[in-house]
Amino acid sequence: MRKLIISLLVLCLIASPLLAQGGTEKAASEAEPVTLTVLWFNDGNESDIFMETMQDYLAEHPNIKIDLQIVAFADYQQKLKMLISGGNPPDVARMATADLTALINQALPIEDYTDTSVLEPQFMESMMAYAYNPEGKIVALPTEATANGMLVNKTAFKNAGIDVDELSKTWSWTDWEEAAKKVIAANPNLKYGLPVDFTPHRFSTIMYQFGGHFLNSDQTAMEFNNPGTIKCLKWFKDMHDQNLIPKSVWMGSENPAELFQAGIVACHIGGSWNVNTYKKNITSFEWGAVQMPAGDMRSSVPGGKLIASFKGCAHPQEAVDFMIAFADKAHSGKYDKQTLNLSSRVDSDIQYDSNASDFTVFTNELKVTPAYTANEWKNPNLSKVTGYAKEQIVQYLMGNIDVETCVRNVDAKGADFFK
Amino acid sequence: MTKFKKGTRQFWIPYLFLLPNVLIFALFVIIPAIQGLAMSFTDHGIFTEPKFVGFANFVELFHDEVFWITFKNTLVYSFLTVIMLVAVSLLLALLLSKSTVKFEKGFRAAFYIPSLLSMITVGIAWRFILGDEMGIINYFLRSLGGNGVPWLTDGTYAMLSVIMVTVWTYAGYYMLIFISGLQAIPGELYEAAKVDGASPWYSFRKITIPLLAPTTLVVSILATINAFKAYELITTMTKGGPGYATKFIVQQVYQVAFAEDRMGYASAMSIILMLMIGAFTVFQFAANRRGSDNE
Amino acid sequence: MNKQVKTEIGKTILVAILAILTLFPIIWVVLSSFKPQSELFQIPMSFFPRTWTLENYSESLGRGDFLLYFRNSLVVSVVSTAITVLINTMAGYALAKFVFPGRNITFTIMLATLMIPLQVIMIPIFLQLKRFGLLNTLWGIIIPPAATPTGVFLARQYMTTLPDSLIEAARMDGGGEDFIFIKVILPMSKPIVATIAIFSFMWRWNDYLWPLIVISKSRKQTIQQALAGFVGQLQINWSNLLAMTTITILPVIIVFLAFQNFFMQGVTAGAVKG
Repeated sequence: MRKLIISLLVLCLIASPLLAQGGTEKAASEAEPVTLTVLWFNDGNESDIFMETMQDYLAEHPNIKIDLQIVAFADYQQKLKMLISGGNPPDVARMATADLTALINQALPIEDYTDTSVLEPQFMESMMAYAYNPEGKIVALPTEATANGMLVNKTAFKNAGIDVDELSKTWSWTDWEEAAKKVIAANPNLKYGLPVDFTPHRFSTIMYQFGGHFLNSDQTAMEFNNPGTIKCLKWFKDMHDQNLIPKSVWMGSENPAELFQAGIVACHIGGSWNVNTYKKNITSFEWGAVQMPAGDMRSSVPGGKLIASFKGCAHPQEAVDFMIAFADKAHSGKYDKQTLNLSSRVDSDIQYDSNASDFTVFTNELKVTPAYTANEWKNPNLSKVTGYAKEQIVQYLMGNIDVETCVRNVDAKGADFFK
Repeated sequence: MTKFKKGTRQFWIPYLFLLPNVLIFALFVIIPAIQGLAMSFTDHGIFTEPKFVGFANFVELFHDEVFWITFKNTLVYSFLTVIMLVAVSLLLALLLSKSTVKFEKGFRAAFYIPSLLSMITVGIAWRFILGDEMGIINYFLRSLGGNGVPWLTDGTYAMLSVIMVTVWTYAGYYMLIFISGLQAIPGELYEAAKVDGASPWYSFRKITIPLLAPTTLVVSILATINAFKAYELITTMTKGGPGYATKFIVQQVYQVAFAEDRMGYASAMSIILMLMIGAFTVFQFAANRRGSDNE
Repeated sequence: MNKQVKTEIGKTILVAILAILTLFPIIWVVLSSFKPQSELFQIPMSFFPRTWTLENYSESLGRGDFLLYFRNSLVVSVVSTAITVLINTMAGYALAKFVFPGRNITFTIMLATLMIPLQVIMIPIFLQLKRFGLLNTLWGIIIPPAATPTGVFLARQYMTTLPDSLIEAARMDGGGEDFIFIKVILPMSKPIVATIAIFSFMWRWNDYLWPLIVISKSRKQTIQQALAGFVGQLQINWSNLLAMTTITILPVIIVFLAFQNFFMQGVTAGAVKG
């Protein structure tokens, strides 16, 4: 037994050099070696492409090292909040628009470290909208843009005798419904018209198309209770009741992208990020992006990722320089091209290796998207209520409450935050 | 049992043995726990200064509809899970403790392996099986001409699915504890009972159950505590859905604390959760003691 | 005779069916890790891979970090287990064999804290670890979780069954308390030591929340953190996830099989006396 204890202690001693390095910085030498902590989340292999893209920058700045930590998206915001409130914010972090919105006051205004007037005009307005904090200062730079949109199983439509590319140029949701029913009838293995991702963001795409909104016009209060939203909710429930939309997504945890890949649904309201996966996985039918049907109007919802730094981080100047480099035309172009994302830069001229037409469709959707959609989504109070709103929509879909109660509940909850 | 007199040097011996464990625990769990729970009396966003509000959070909790739904769900889930876990693991133990089954050790291992997996793995594996369109069971049923079962898309079924998966995960773990308990019961007692003409069922009732009581207590307490804290498994499988059907308190705590940015309120919820678990535990200790008093 | 054989066969068949059903999901995960990602969502669904491929494995292992995370998890699990076994048995011994003021309260508080979901106290823990300089160190995920109440609970239960007479005898022979613990108690507690070791290894290997709180430097991450990273915002990286999950299960199973005999005995004695 004594031998055992001694060997355990020896093991501990041997292991301790491995264990104890708490990230000490080397002593300052000529070019002040700097290690930037970068927080990142992945959907596929974005982190690999990111590092690849920035290799030349790191080569030009040999004193800069990157410590890249990948955190699961589900815990990303919590991790950031913990690090920031604990006094250890990362130097740089990849931010989804929702997370940036929640942390907008903690993000670092970059004007202290660079000339922002040069930067601003380089990016699309709808994406830059997310990068301003309440004082109007820029705290982030857009790196990728995403657009919500519709992907369709072209083979299935063909089997029903419909040229979906033509039809989609002018269709409304009513036209869509008609077409979907024909497609389902013509394809024995196909069961549903359209799954919608189980997120308030995707739902809002259709909501905006029906003329609805979340907030009142000066963003002082929640106004989920409005004719457009109610019309949309009723339509949404009707589609579920008719089984044109599978119940298992919003009322289960089925993944719409999986359903689409399996060929059981005719369309999918997802977004530009699905292109990459579908390209890899779908081999049994022809697919592509088409214009979304119009409700009262056409709309998408802009989204994307930005790169930000935080107040109190260890190396703000190097962080900001790094951010600017990653977001510049050369780097973000290369990154967006290889991750198959849309660019958020005005001057982008990305030639995608494949699926160029699909990306054109998505870009066009963004072009017709009104600015207020982005403005709503960048409101930090809205982000606190969307989880609850999603739950109330489900209650309505399940038939547990009626549509008036649903919207009123959401507005009441909003009142807690829009004080 | 040793009892050292106060004032002697030896008095400190037991404290010294306890010290490393208690010290670490106090520093890294108890103190943060007290700090965390103390927040329940404040209104506290993660980046804002805490503002003392007394019992306001608890009053608000009283009227919080969503909270009570999760409260009820947690109770139902925990109650049913513990009962099923005790029953199933006991059944397995009875089958696998008397060497009447071939390959006994191998089977024991098979049932134990699920508990070794991380909850993310379990959640993913079961989604592949119970998924509505993409799940293996429904696919099989439909190919035979039947309808799929709404495992994860109907409220009641979803609750049952989650309970079933929890039992699948831990039955083997508690089975092992029961096996040891069973093996500690002297075989002579059963022999004597048989000689007296007792039926197997009678032996089970009068010998096995009473002598197994202490083991049953350990199992049910550990199972209860773990059931009330269930989080990862549920979120991976159902995300709390459909609707609120499988949303439990811990999930709500997480959402309120981080998404809604109300740490104080979330902390108040945790206190209610602790009280619930505490009540169940005390009840089980009492029931167990009363049971053994009756011998 | 016939009836007994029939019951035996019946029981064996029943157990076999249950065992296969139990292992089914795990086998599914392992088999799926050998399928190309496109096959995962094809209908009709496949159980055995239509196309066997190692691309999921080569892709995940090809990233040099994987081995690093594996090593981190291994180091953490082993060292933490060593510490856990030591301090849990010490604490269990004190609670089992001594009468002293504060004995019951200590035990109760330990059990009570088991009831607090860690998510709630994430930030206070973070700050506390920061105060002690344990952030971003492997020690930070080795030491704090080592003081497991469950381990103390099990040790205590087991040690109450050890005969006092041996302890008395050793004292009368002039043995010091440390001598008694090391030379008398621990040797007789091998089964529960093995039990706590297996449980502790499993808990630390599967830990997710502690590393999430403590580790913010890539080189100190553990395997569970890496696994979770494959579940993205908009889609799941199934190929990497399934392959790495399969690899991650193996060490725990190996440790279990290796310790199985000790384990069975240990769980026995630990749980019987209430």
